[in-house]
Amino acid sequence: MDDKYDCIVLGTGLKECIISGLMSVERKKVLHMDRNDFYGGESASLTLDQLFQRFTDGQKPPESLGSSRDYQIDLIPKFIMANGALVNMLVFTGVNRYLEFKKVDGSFVMRGGKVYKVPATDVEALKSSLMGFFQKRKCKNFFAFAQNYDDADPSTHKGFNIDETPIKDIFEYYGLDDNTVEFIGHAVALNKDDSYLTRPARETFDRMKLYADSLARYGSSPYLYPLYGLGELPQGFARLSAIYGGTYMLQKPIEEVVYNDEGRVCGVKSEGEVAACDFVVGDPSYFPDKVRQTGSVVRCICILNHPIPSTDNAESCQIIVPQRQAGRNSDIYISCVSYAHNVAAPGKWIVLVSTTVETDNPLKELEPGFALLGEIEARFPSKDGVFITTSYDATTHFETSCDDVFKVYRAITGHDIDFDNPPRPDQDDE
Amino acid sequence: MAAGKVFQFKLVLLGEAAVGKSSLVLRFVKGQFQEFQESTIGAAFLTQSVCLDDVTVKFEIWDTAGQERYNSLAPMYYRGAQAAIVVYDITNADTLARAKAWVKELQRQASPNIVIALAGNKCDLASKRAVDDEEAAQYAEDNGLLFLETSAKGAINVNEIFIAIAKKLPKNTVETRPAKPVVQIDEPSSSKKKGCC
Ligand SMILES: Nc1nc2c(ncn2[C@@H]2O[C@H](COP(=O)(O)OP(=O)(O)OP(=O)(O)O)[C@@H](O)[C@H]2O)c(=O)[nH]1
Ligand SMILES: [Mg+2]
Repeated sequence: MDDKYDCIVLGTGLKECIISGLMSVERKKVLHMDRNDFYGGESASLTLDQLFQRFTDGQKPPESLGSSRDYQIDLIPKFIMANGALVNMLVFTGVNRYLEFKKVDGSFVMRGGKVYKVPATDVEALKSSLMGFFQKRKCKNFFAFAQNYDDADPSTHKGFNIDETPIKDIFEYYGLDDNTVEFIGHAVALNKDDSYLTRPARETFDRMKLYADSLARYGSSPYLYPLYGLGELPQGFARLSAIYGGTYMLQKPIEEVVYNDEGRVCGVKSEGEVAACDFVVGDPSYFPDKVRQTGSVVRCICILNHPIPSTDNAESCQIIVPQRQAGRNSDIYISCVSYAHNVAAPGKWIVLVSTTVETDNPLKELEPGFALLGEIEARFPSKDGVFITTSYDATTHFETSCDDVFKVYRAITGHDIDFDNPPRPDQDDE
Repeated sequence: MAAGKVFQFKLVLLGEAAVGKSSLVLRFVKGQFQEFQESTIGAAFLTQSVCLDDVTVKFEIWDTAGQERYNSLAPMYYRGAQAAIVVYDITNADTLARAKAWVKELQRQASPNIVIALAGNKCDLASKRAVDDEEAAQYAEDNGLLFLETSAKGAINVNEIFIAIAKKLPKNTVETRPAKPVVQIDEPSSSKKKGCC
């Protein structure tokens, strides 16, 4: 403990664990501590007993829910984009070999109280019942334009400069109506609100491409999910860090981050001892005087004994309720996994409903989401105990989390991750 | 000799620091022993197969990477493990107490059918013995564990303990696998490659 480290990491959430792993791989000396006696912080997955402990006053789980240890319930509703930054990171580090993943069965969008499969390509647009005859055509043309757009080939640009033209103008050019724009912007480009409309089109094109490429990778949906829950992800990267020499200490009360006379960080104090270091990385809860609240997310965990209606009996899926459909400014996200991912007892589905808080009655804001679920066997929080967190944003995937990781990595090492040169371990036998 | 089917199992090692976990793996996988065994940097797991009469059992062997040192082993370590070797050092009685705690933890957290073996390592140091082998054997029997005293240094009972585990593992089904195929995440560029395993 009173050694000198290159880097001390506080909190074992996913971002912290990825950073810890990357630093150890670079042969930096890493000390990684968490005040909790479990890995994952806000991105941990809980057993049923732990869930009841956290959200009820001393109730025991009813027998009908089955065995507590069959459950691994996420507190953050996220899936992994199959072609996104987190997958790159998993492959780059080899952590993909410690975990197992399943593809998510379906990706849906709500329109007028009904649930539709999200069409993401020109071919799918033509088949979708989400749009009428004429919109389908227009949507197909728009998708084709976006798919074929090639920076190097001006003939594919149709006179647009996507670094300047707002996406709104391109939607207009293709004659897309509000409903079509809504599902493209929210269910394909995965924007949380409508602020993207006035920004240059490239952003939306990039997001559409990520969705389409991810979808193309395994079919059925653009998402992956790890067996045993998202909580396995931070643990996987923590193991990577340990394998490369990182030191792990859970249940370690952190008294303070220590600064030198010039105001630069120089160590971390825990249980009276100071561990010296050059850098400290931590989740916001370890720097209470340095963080500013930027918005809150309300979440509710539901347990069902059936799949979500109209999802083709999906074992896992995502449903997006676009803002307008619920008369709101931000979307409601529904993410659903089940016993098929070893996160629930046989015959049980776990559904997380979440959105960005807009009123002083956040739980009520989720109601348009609950309405799609059919009968709900159990719900957490059950009544007023609102469950709000800020350390992970409202997006349904890990792309922004990875952006944060890239930034921290660059700040510490002075360079970007060289994805072309993955660290290759001393050799695991094949 | 032709071994028919190949079954792959995940095997984890547990035990107090310095009891010889890594040394047992090194002996079994590479036939080596090092007096000053350093932890293998960067190896997530090692693989080694044993041939039984008509089947080959391939072990994917996970070592703790030191995370257990401050009670910080991640549960994902023994997730999905079908076998475990819990190691103690026969010259140090405290390490048996720690081994018993690991057995409890496995029974509580790991898959209910996990095959657990107890290894009393460093049996080459008989003159410094601090744990009675009968006491350990009795404990193992009471808890349904395989038991052998081993020496990574002297190559005593190391292959034998893996073979004993291989024999006890169920080989009728690939049972812990979920029904639907699990996606194999490959190199980013290999999207054309088969997606499932
Ligand atoms: N005499 C003797 N020494 C052994 C034997 N096995 C391991 N050792 C020695 O015990 C020490 C610790 O061995 P490791 O294999 O590193 O033990 P470990 O359980 O992996 O230790 P950690 O990874 O630190 O938890 C080393 O100095 C080994 O050489 C054995 O069978 N006999
Ligand atoms: Mg070791």
